[in-house]
Amino acid sequence: MELTVTKDATCTFCGCVCDDIELHSDGTKITNTKAACVLGKSWFLNHTAERLYPDALIDGKEATVDEAVEAAAEYLYLAHLPLVYGLSNITCEAQRESVALAELIGGVVDSHTSL
Amino acid sequence: MGGKVSCTLGEVKNRADLIVYWGGNPAECHPRHFTKYSLMPKGRFVPNGRKDRTMILVDIRETASAKAADIFLQVRPAKDFEMITVLRALIKEQPVDTKLVAETGLTLEELTDFAQRLKKAKFGVFFFGMGLSMTRGKHMNSAALLTLAAELNAFTKFVAMPMRGHGNVTGGDVIMRWTTGYPFGVNLARGYPRFNPGEYSTIDLLIRGDTDAVLVLGADPGATMPQPAIDHMVRVPTIVLDPKVTHTSKIARVHITTAVTGISAPGTAYRMDEIPLPLKPPLKSPYPTDEEVIRRIYQAVAKKPPLMPPVRPKVPRV
Repeated sequence: MELTVTKDATCTFCGCVCDDIELHSDGTKITNTKAACVLGKSWFLNHTAERLYPDALIDGKEATVDEAVEAAAEYLYLAHLPLVYGLSNITCEAQRESVALAELIGGVVDSHTSL
Repeated sequence: MGGKVSCTLGEVKNRADLIVYWGGNPAECHPRHFTKYSLMPKGRFVPNGRKDRTMILVDIRETASAKAADIFLQVRPAKDFEMITVLRALIKEQPVDTKLVAETGLTLEELTDFAQRLKKAKFGVFFFGMGLSMTRGKHMNSAALLTLAAELNAFTKFVAMPMRGHGNVTGGDVIMRWTTGYPFGVNLARGYPRFNPGEYSTIDLLIRGDTDAVLVLGADPGATMPQPAIDHMVRVPTIVLDPKVTHTSKIARVHITTAVTGISAPGTAYRMDEIPLPLKPPLKSPYPTDEEVIRRIYQAVAKKPPLMPPVRPKVPRV
């Protein structure tokens, strides 16, 4: 495995969003962090690029992403008032898509801010 | 929170000589906040760093952050609003009710000294946490503190900033503000945005059973929300997008595994002072990103007949 070094990486664990982290990775795991705090370090070291979970689950059974996307679309389409919730651990680009989806399905969009 | 008097963390670093943390524990929850942004760094107008700054901590108990503070003010639980109200009177040299002062658990001398320090600062900042905004009074507490910060600008430069928890929760506010005009809890059911916290906020919708499907994005309400809210998510079809199979995934009808934001998914995240920062993911995920999956769900829904019939074309006048 080839070791890569990412300089000035951004940590998204807490609201500080520190953007001066150095990350050492071997392609599947982050092996070392520099400048990150204890919370950031555990955030980076505990997420890998391994396939640890099934691609998708429908009613607890393994499914393909295509099937899951169709099932999700059907549930959201049939609902009178669907709720799109979360948005705090996804990128701004994904948040934009979420608002567009909420508009299409005529639902409510909300984040952790309301808690 | 329209009209919030705020600034960037860069300004805090370069200018702030009075730093007040209110209802937050940055030593344990935002470990680099002191060293990178607020307390320790040497700035343009605070060349000696920590020596040029005063830090005051207001909280209901002496947390690990109290060690870093010059002054620790222990407010009685749920009396933050009263304390802010007293301070607002004191800075304007108005007489205050001694009974109200006693309720806060602090003495008039302590509060007068605090008020004087607020006014004498060259550049002051309130960082407020969930200890203020999530306890009795909730958003009214935040509003009171923001008003105090605004009013202090009659004497000096003063700002207020919430200490945001989750990585890109600020981005959520900014994106919703940009796209709908409101920061959270936006109802688009009528085709135009409506905002009413308490009615369209998640916990209220779930507990009242108003919603009949839930799409959960990068959150685990099944582990954190009150039981009646979780019960409702079991009752209706719940769909989860998350890098892990979470508690919520286990009660959901559909779970889709996605790449991890900032680790294997690229994009942008907002810092708590509303500065957008690019992410630099070092790894390549075997899973699709949230962005991609949400877009695919959008496309799948868009293929179905529209929920509302199209507007009938106008008949031209003869």
